[in-house]
Amino acid sequence: MITAIFSGLIHSSAYALVAVGMTLVFGVTNVANFAQGSLVALGMMVAWWGGSALGLGFIPTVLLVIIITASVGFLMNFIVIAPLEGRKPIAALLATIGVGQIIDHGLQLVFGTQTRQFPKLLETYNYELFGIRFGTSDVVMFLVTIVLMIGMWLFLKNSKIGQAIRATSQDPQAAAQMGIPVVLIRHISFVIGAVLAGVAGIFVGLYNVTVNPMNGSSIGMTAFVAATIGGLGSIPGAVIGGVVLGVIESIGIFWFGDGVRDIITFGALLLVLIIRPQGLLGNKDDATSEPLTGTFLGGGRPLVFPVWVNALLVTLLLVSPFIANNYIAGVGTQIAVYAIAAVGLTMISGSAGQTILGMAGPVAVGAYASALLTKDFAWPFLLAMLFAGIIAAVAACLLTFPVWKLSGHYVAIATIGVGAVMVAFIRIADPITRGSLGIAGISAPNVFGLELDTVQKQYLFDVIVLLITLFIVNRIRKSHVGQVFEGIGSDKFASQSLAIHTGAYKALAYALASFFAGISGSLLAHQYSYIDPTNFTSNMSILILTIIVLGGMNSPLGAVLGSVVLVGAPELLRVTADARIFVYGILLVVIILLKPQGLFAKKV
Amino acid sequence: MKNKIMRIATAISAISLLVSTAACGLDGDETSSNKSDTVNIGVLYPATGQYAEYGKMFKNGMDLAVKKVNKDGGVGGKTLGLKYFDTQSDAKQSAAVAPRLVSDSSIIAVVGDYSSSASMAASPAFQNAKLVHYGFNNSSPTFTTTGDYVWTPQVSQETFQKANADIVAKKAKKISVVYIENDWGKQAFEYFKKEAEVKGLQIAYSSSYLADTTDYSSMLISATQDSPDAVVDIGYGPDGAGIVNTLRDKIGFTGLFFGGQETSEFLQSAGDNAEGTIITGTFSAAGTTDSKAKQFVADYRNAYGSEPGNFEVTAYQAIIDLAYAANKTSPTREGIQEALKTVKDFPLYQGQGGTFSFNVKTRRADGIQPILLIVKDGKFVQYDDSAK
Repeated sequence: MITAIFSGLIHSSAYALVAVGMTLVFGVTNVANFAQGSLVALGMMVAWWGGSALGLGFIPTVLLVIIITASVGFLMNFIVIAPLEGRKPIAALLATIGVGQIIDHGLQLVFGTQTRQFPKLLETYNYELFGIRFGTSDVVMFLVTIVLMIGMWLFLKNSKIGQAIRATSQDPQAAAQMGIPVVLIRHISFVIGAVLAGVAGIFVGLYNVTVNPMNGSSIGMTAFVAATIGGLGSIPGAVIGGVVLGVIESIGIFWFGDGVRDIITFGALLLVLIIRPQGLLGNKDDATSEPLTGTFLGGGRPLVFPVWVNALLVTLLLVSPFIANNYIAGVGTQIAVYAIAAVGLTMISGSAGQTILGMAGPVAVGAYASALLTKDFAWPFLLAMLFAGIIAAVAACLLTFPVWKLSGHYVAIATIGVGAVMVAFIRIADPITRGSLGIAGISAPNVFGLELDTVQKQYLFDVIVLLITLFIVNRIRKSHVGQVFEGIGSDKFASQSLAIHTGAYKALAYALASFFAGISGSLLAHQYSYIDPTNFTSNMSILILTIIVLGGMNSPLGAVLGSVVLVGAPELLRVTADARIFVYGILLVVIILLKPQGLFAKKV
Repeated sequence: MKNKIMRIATAISAISLLVSTAACGLDGDETSSNKSDTVNIGVLYPATGQYAEYGKMFKNGMDLAVKKVNKDGGVGGKTLGLKYFDTQSDAKQSAAVAPRLVSDSSIIAVVGDYSSSASMAASPAFQNAKLVHYGFNNSSPTFTTTGDYVWTPQVSQETFQKANADIVAKKAKKISVVYIENDWGKQAFEYFKKEAEVKGLQIAYSSSYLADTTDYSSMLISATQDSPDAVVDIGYGPDGAGIVNTLRDKIGFTGLFFGGQETSEFLQSAGDNAEGTIITGTFSAAGTTDSKAKQFVADYRNAYGSEPGNFEVTAYQAIIDLAYAANKTSPTREGIQEALKTVKDFPLYQGQGGTFSFNVKTRRADGIQPILLIVKDGKFVQYDDSAK
């Protein structure tokens, strides 16, 4: 037990180091940088290359990593993030997701796909304490973390540049009027953040011993959780968050095994957020702003088509299954199913202005509910599909119930936790869901006795469900409730002063979104015929959110268009072979740069 | 109001028009007969993403196989080709691309994908089109349940883990078991546990670990605190290396280790710690006594400059087997299905070599026996446990 706690402490300084970089970028740029984990992986792989292929020592390797990550950090801000300045922060968030994909898959293209042994730049196992070995690397990592924490804190507090960085993060316009070169300051912040990530990558590589270019996303996610537990934007908080998370994980895994690690990690996150919504060391005032979405619908208004255009589109959609060949229909089913979930999400994330990053949760609940109802209880498909929606909505409501009292970006982060915990519960609810073994032999969709046995028939059915979804969502948007959602999204405080209980309405909007997510999960389950928990990853959550951001947050039709682009593009890009997802990332970033308000929205 | 009525009216009239005139359009593509001189095998595999390393091994094996098939005269007078489709082993992408393989009339069979979730999401499309889906990497016990066109030559986990537990029981009495948390790992552990009970092997500790875990310390501290004779890992290469490295370097565990995977990736990332590790596998490049398998190893070394492992050989054999099937009947979709049912002597490269056939009821190959491998001087060699 003592061994486990001590081992957790060593591991926690790796978390803390990555979290410090994360929280710095967040604090000074107000951008939740989802590429931070990928930058860690970049530092790690460059260090692997320097330390093994080039045979460099520790110090030259560190310098190499600093030079490369600094350049990438600068380029990232110069090309992608800076041009989005003044747009909705969600556009920048989405851009960082795209950059993350470019870096991850770029690393795979450059360094290959193999897992490798990290070079022993420092001694890794030359000391022993409490029955566990550790090395100079761990000691240096710990010292670097402490020095960075204190150094960054002093730098931000006392130096000219540090003060300029803080001024810029608080109010860029005021800072500019005081003569601060805001553009330059942002470049500096990004470069510092990227270098911190790169240096962290070296130590994470030393700690993990084996490294793979795709390690970035899970490192980034854990560090993000650590930074949030500590209080986003607080540098000492990031260190404390890292330590708390490292030790809790270590003790939890020691007792319950590693199979429940995600529940421990995200459970700890949710618990901390519920008890202390701004994180352990976060400033209470920080928790009121909402950097992940725009207020006043900053970006744009959805385009509205005349009726005849809508009628034409509906007809075209309905005709498409009859003329589509197998391939197009096959891609069409995926596009339509993801569009159903995305259209639902526009109600909460678009109208009510609340970013949701855990939609894979309700999709998974819907998929499992529908699969089990038809398989174990012999329910007809249509009824099971409807109940899948209802069960997903109820489950989502119950689990997110405590979340709505949170404010600011912490709600969005909490939804990551809720999504992950939902899928983890499905995995451990073994007797009912068969856990990781998955459910095989789920019947094909059957509508009033007609089995949908070809892709065209399934596609037609998906299109009909999509149209019904669009119809319902449009009706809701025009109704009183829809107006209230819109009001909350446009100005939360004005809504509150009109005695609108914003939390309750957000919960309702989320339940509605979860209902449609559940329906789409049901469709997926019956079309795939086999599901297991690995279908419902955080990538799925991010994809559904990306679809509506790309389409124009507030536009149901945009969500359909976003789905066509984001689900369809990997198919169109098959010509680029191994670089497919790399090019996909570039495409995503280019679209955001060209149309930051979303494809299907106009500027206001 | 008027608008709405108009819209609904338009939609209804459009639907009724469509249903009356074009209802036949929903029955799928007509697969026109293939007139060209090339027939293809469609491959679903991860070329990008987190499983890309396995995709690379598959591709190496298959490219080599197709070369050999064509050098030996092709299939039924036609040239055999491969059409690769990257899916990232993601169900969304394999389900989307599967119908494209179905409508490509030059494709006479489909192999892949890497994971069960991606493979099985694609199966219904192939089953409906009566196109053989040959899941050469899918040992999941439910894989072939989609229908009679879904086959797998993978050694079942039941056979595999029985052999695994047997060798562990010979070397140890009290063990700790860790396994990867996915459909494969969970199923494999259940079979392992069953056989361990039969052999009187005491499992003092067991825990699964998530696929994205990079720090195994806490779990292994817990696993080794009652000083078991051995730690058994049921997982893949990268995690196996992480686990044995943590056990040896960090915790200083000196007992036996069973685990890892027969890949160069595992050997390189575990380094010296891999030495002496015994695993249950299906193929040994150094130890195989089968003449055609020896030829395969030589060809592979010529082409890529390295030794093939289990993944390369199963991928290679999948293509060879399907070509063999096509030559026994005809290089058509029907021909492949017919041959899988009737041919009794598919060339076998794994295990002891020779030939194998399918159990037509389960559409699995029952006869393939796993072999034992041990790491010696940084290489996997066949382990003969009767010698000691």
